[in-house]
Amino acid sequence: MSSLDQPDSNGTYWRSLGELSGSPRFREFLEAEFPRELDPSGMSRRRWLQLMGASIALAGVAGCRWPREEILPLAVRPEGRVPGEAEYYATAMELGGAALGLLVTSRDGRPVKIEGNPVHPASRGATHVFAQAAILELYDPDRSRGLRQITGSDAPSREWAEFSAFVDKHLQPLRDKQGEGLAVLAESSSSPTLAAIKARFAQRLPKARWVEYEPLSDDYVRAGAIQALGAPYRTHFQLVDADVVLCVDCDLLCSHPNAVQYARDFAERRDPVSGNMNRLYAVESGYSVTGTAADHRVSLASSRIGGWLARLEAALAPRIAKEQPANGEVEDPVLSALASDLVAAAGRSVIAVGPGQPPAVHAAAHRMNQALGNVGKTVVYYAVPDPERPGHVAGLRDLVRDVNEKLVTTLVVLGGNPVYNAPADLKFAAAFAKVPQRIHLSLYFDETSRAATWHVPRAQFLESWDDVRAYDGTYTVLQPLIAPRYGGKTPSEFIATILGEDPADGQTLVQRTFRESFGEADFATKWQQTVHDGLVAGSQWPVQTPALVASQGTTMPDSPGLAEGKLEIVFREDPSAYDGRFANSGWLQETPRPLTHITWDNAAILHPATARKFQIEPDTLVRLKHRGRELEMPVYLLPGHARDTVTVTLGYGRKAAGKVAGDAALEVASVGADTYSLRHSESLYFDVGVEVSPTGKAYTLATTEEHHAIDSLGKAAREERGRELLREGTLAEYREDPEFARHRVHHPPLKSLWNEWSYEEGHRWGMAIDLSKCIGCNACVVACQAENNVPVVGRQLVLQGREMHWLRVDRYFWGDAEADSPPVSHQVVTCQQCENAPCEQVCPVAATVHSHEGLNDMVYNRCIGTRYCANNCPYKVRRFNYFYFHWDLEKPENEVKKMVYNPEVTIRSRGVMEKCTYCVQRIQAGKIVAKNERRPMVDGEVRSACQQACPTRAIEFGDLNDPDSRVAKSQAAERAYAMLAELNAKPRTNYLARIRNPHPSLDKTEHEHARHTG
Amino acid sequence: MSPFPPWIDRVRPLLAAVLVAGPLYALGLAYYVSSPETVDVGYSPQQPVPFSHALHAGKLALDCRYCHSTVERAARAAVPPTATCMNCHRLIAADSEKLAAVRESFTTGNPIHWVRVHDLPDFAYFNHSAHVTRGVSCVSCHGRIDKMDQVTQVETLRMGWCLDCHRNPEPHLRPRELVTDLDWIPGEDPVQLGTRLREELNINPSTDCSTCHR
Repeated sequence: MSSLDQPDSNGTYWRSLGELSGSPRFREFLEAEFPRELDPSGMSRRRWLQLMGASIALAGVAGCRWPREEILPLAVRPEGRVPGEAEYYATAMELGGAALGLLVTSRDGRPVKIEGNPVHPASRGATHVFAQAAILELYDPDRSRGLRQITGSDAPSREWAEFSAFVDKHLQPLRDKQGEGLAVLAESSSSPTLAAIKARFAQRLPKARWVEYEPLSDDYVRAGAIQALGAPYRTHFQLVDADVVLCVDCDLLCSHPNAVQYARDFAERRDPVSGNMNRLYAVESGYSVTGTAADHRVSLASSRIGGWLARLEAALAPRIAKEQPANGEVEDPVLSALASDLVAAAGRSVIAVGPGQPPAVHAAAHRMNQALGNVGKTVVYYAVPDPERPGHVAGLRDLVRDVNEKLVTTLVVLGGNPVYNAPADLKFAAAFAKVPQRIHLSLYFDETSRAATWHVPRAQFLESWDDVRAYDGTYTVLQPLIAPRYGGKTPSEFIATILGEDPADGQTLVQRTFRESFGEADFATKWQQTVHDGLVAGSQWPVQTPALVASQGTTMPDSPGLAEGKLEIVFREDPSAYDGRFANSGWLQETPRPLTHITWDNAAILHPATARKFQIEPDTLVRLKHRGRELEMPVYLLPGHARDTVTVTLGYGRKAAGKVAGDAALEVASVGADTYSLRHSESLYFDVGVEVSPTGKAYTLATTEEHHAIDSLGKAAREERGRELLREGTLAEYREDPEFARHRVHHPPLKSLWNEWSYEEGHRWGMAIDLSKCIGCNACVVACQAENNVPVVGRQLVLQGREMHWLRVDRYFWGDAEADSPPVSHQVVTCQQCENAPCEQVCPVAATVHSHEGLNDMVYNRCIGTRYCANNCPYKVRRFNYFYFHWDLEKPENEVKKMVYNPEVTIRSRGVMEKCTYCVQRIQAGKIVAKNERRPMVDGEVRSACQQACPTRAIEFGDLNDPDSRVAKSQAAERAYAMLAELNAKPRTNYLARIRNPHPSLDKTEHEHARHTG
Repeated sequence: MSPFPPWIDRVRPLLAAVLVAGPLYALGLAYYVSSPETVDVGYSPQQPVPFSHALHAGKLALDCRYCHSTVERAARAAVPPTATCMNCHRLIAADSEKLAAVRESFTTGNPIHWVRVHDLPDFAYFNHSAHVTRGVSCVSCHGRIDKMDQVTQVETLRMGWCLDCHRNPEPHLRPRELVTDLDWIPGEDPVQLGTRLREELNINPSTDCSTCHR
């Protein structure tokens, strides 16, 4: 259980268990830039030449003339609109009940790219993966295209007039009976407008009920707050001020509703130069993004974490009281270091507990934060607007009971997908079918819609007028970037329609709330400012100072011992599908999940030792048996995962998601396994007593962890090189020798074979990536995909190593695979824009050439696809279009998909090589604007898509010829190094070595400085 | 004795066929590749509205930027919205039959389907503002639009043609305020003037691939 291991100069880095065991599959990926063994086509070179010869003989006649193109100017151009130019509008996205402020780029009235809103406190210009991918959801051809009435297996389209007639006829009697028999099942929402409408709904229909359900529920968080503080206060952290942070089964930096802000705040304190680094401890069962960022991580089954925290609380008490701790009271060195750290940083520390831990654990954290004097400083409380709301599960359980007792005649499901994602034991789907009238408002014609009697299309947030609150309560307004494509309604509009309100359009409804909240005076000016900024500045909730409930008891749930042969099962939000709602996004499905690098699947994640114990082989399916239900799914072995625990993520096995994630009606197979089928309402996030057994069936997960491994000859050489690629050290090491990273590699003086370019004049674009700040959240990967029209290739091609991402996040484990928690580091790798670029020397057609600003320009229309460049790239960052990946655009139903493409970037065809360009389209646009205005460019004026999306600001981009630019300063830092500098490729991207900040008593490397490789 | 082997006799009809068909094919090919629709020079499609630049820009001397209002600040000079036409044609020639399509567009809000004349490949990104604000006149690429009743393409718009100017911009530069003056003639040696302007405005046309291709 120790986390004593710190990367030092002796251990080795490795990418996967396959690498450690020297699997043939890994060797194939390592040795061949384009693995041949994995190529299923099996076509010989001769046969290929024959076929191509025939094709060329037939081609060539067509295609000499341009197609006739038309220009369709608007009849009346809106003021300020410039055809083809980008406009920016503030809006927001709500996820997990909190808003992330966004700034959306729109061209010709078409939203094309989502960025964070720099003035929004939750975002400050950054985004998470879901926000980046939302633009694809907007244009998803599988979205519901209109109203439908469902009768049996038939679901004909309906007009709004027909629905209105139904509402009038059917709801009038309900209104007369004050809503008796009517129930609304809503997603959780922080919208003040929806809350106001809900209040009017309750007033008009007092006997109707309103239930909220969210599969990734905050039930335990609220129950814990009630237990400790007497009311469901919301806990918010000021991580900027926190010197010591403890995350208890809590992925604070990636899965929290406010993760973007927390990641930024956390990273601001990871700068070793300021000398004011924070220290992060994580105790968790699965390996989370936060766990990889931690200085010390304890790997522990979720069900044992409560007991662990109780021991910490016991260890804290005497220290806080400045008493001598009882002899031998704490044997665990991590616990002891943590306790002394927390007390030393009293008032400047944070203890955060994840939503999966039971209420008692949350209560303990509240007590400890209080005892440490953090409350009011690094830990603040807000009063939630809906303190009386019952828990999600309790509400849903009551609703199901009432349905079964035939007390509900009409059920309006407002968003969400409860037929798919309700806990299995509630048997919601069966109950739902018993309700006579079932109306579902939804973005997709999904599982719940198909079981309903009416399906009503929902407006996506980019099509909506709405308002939401940020995690700290900041009032945030959503404005539509485009009219609802399929006549969709927002939940507020829909309920207002049902109530017979007129007008019931979103703008009027939001303005009404705005007036009520911020006063009638000066409305027009205030409203305009709010819509422009996307928020009302200073509208966060007032900070509360609740006192601890006097007698809450301190009993922690005892670890329910695991019976022999049984495991604990942990349910987690999926980094790509979330709770299943984003499952139909090709971008998210193909994003390698942090840690596992799995794409297009979810897996049962086990520690390798646990797998051995149950005779489970990698690349097979396992059978999970839990509370009488069974599920088969692929297994993934993750070092550092808690033993005796199996982690599964939710959101897969969709049967009515769409053509990407699965649609039974269209015979599209589901992606992944439906883990909701194992979830029990009593234990939403973890449960003990699951049986795991091998099935013997082979199944290969499409994980990219072994792809694009940077090779050296032999395992020993590769291990040596691992330390050269990814350099890290401890704060103590850094203080002793700030240039330690540069000394990791020594090479003879470099001399170029070619005449080197001079870049003294003009711009010299460069990038710096701070490995201390990078948490591996993938926001950059999806941002790059959205900005650069990077295609999705699908599971089969990912298995062959043909994924197209220009930017990848390499993940390295360090040390012993069997250790309890081998440290993990992430390294973002993309085209390094070498000054002496190896790719350029081998291109026979000059399709990749050097620009005067030092970019490796990639000219798609010259490329003939020899792939020599990729073969010669030491960083393995070039990607080849084996197929025309945009073929589906030619289908008429996919016309809408064309709208997602960035018009500033060429769509590459088959047979063409592509790679990162440092977002050259943004560079050009910035240069032209500056030059038109006859002024020099300002630092920060041009930002690459990855840089802009990064929540931690780990990526800096700019002009190295400007000594004051952030990137120039970053690259001048002592811990900056170039990857593979000894090849003399002179990469323009530099890395800043990762600095860990271990507790001195746990820092093994402390004593080994003498042997520091020099 | 013939110097040719006997089997050559059997090839003679084929030879004749090649001699006849070959020139015909070459002729056809030459015609095809040199037709205006292929090389673009001389391409002059009929437009849905018989708008005459010769009348508006020539005779009436409207500045190009009255209609192409975004040319100095955006990639696209932009075909104007119908509303721009109607600014004048509400009063002038308000009942003209030739303007029926314009009035219809204005009433219904549907766009007029203009045919694109100057069409670059989709992988070439051209920016009007970057050229116009450096003093490259409209006439350099579009010719004497002010003399055309129906717009005709006069330059090839090929990459080599672009690069000719990017490598040697001086002859094509003029004071910025004169870019829309299509019949302007420099009072001095254009190269000398261009050299001076280039110096003044720090004009460094790039020939890097990513300038236009991304």
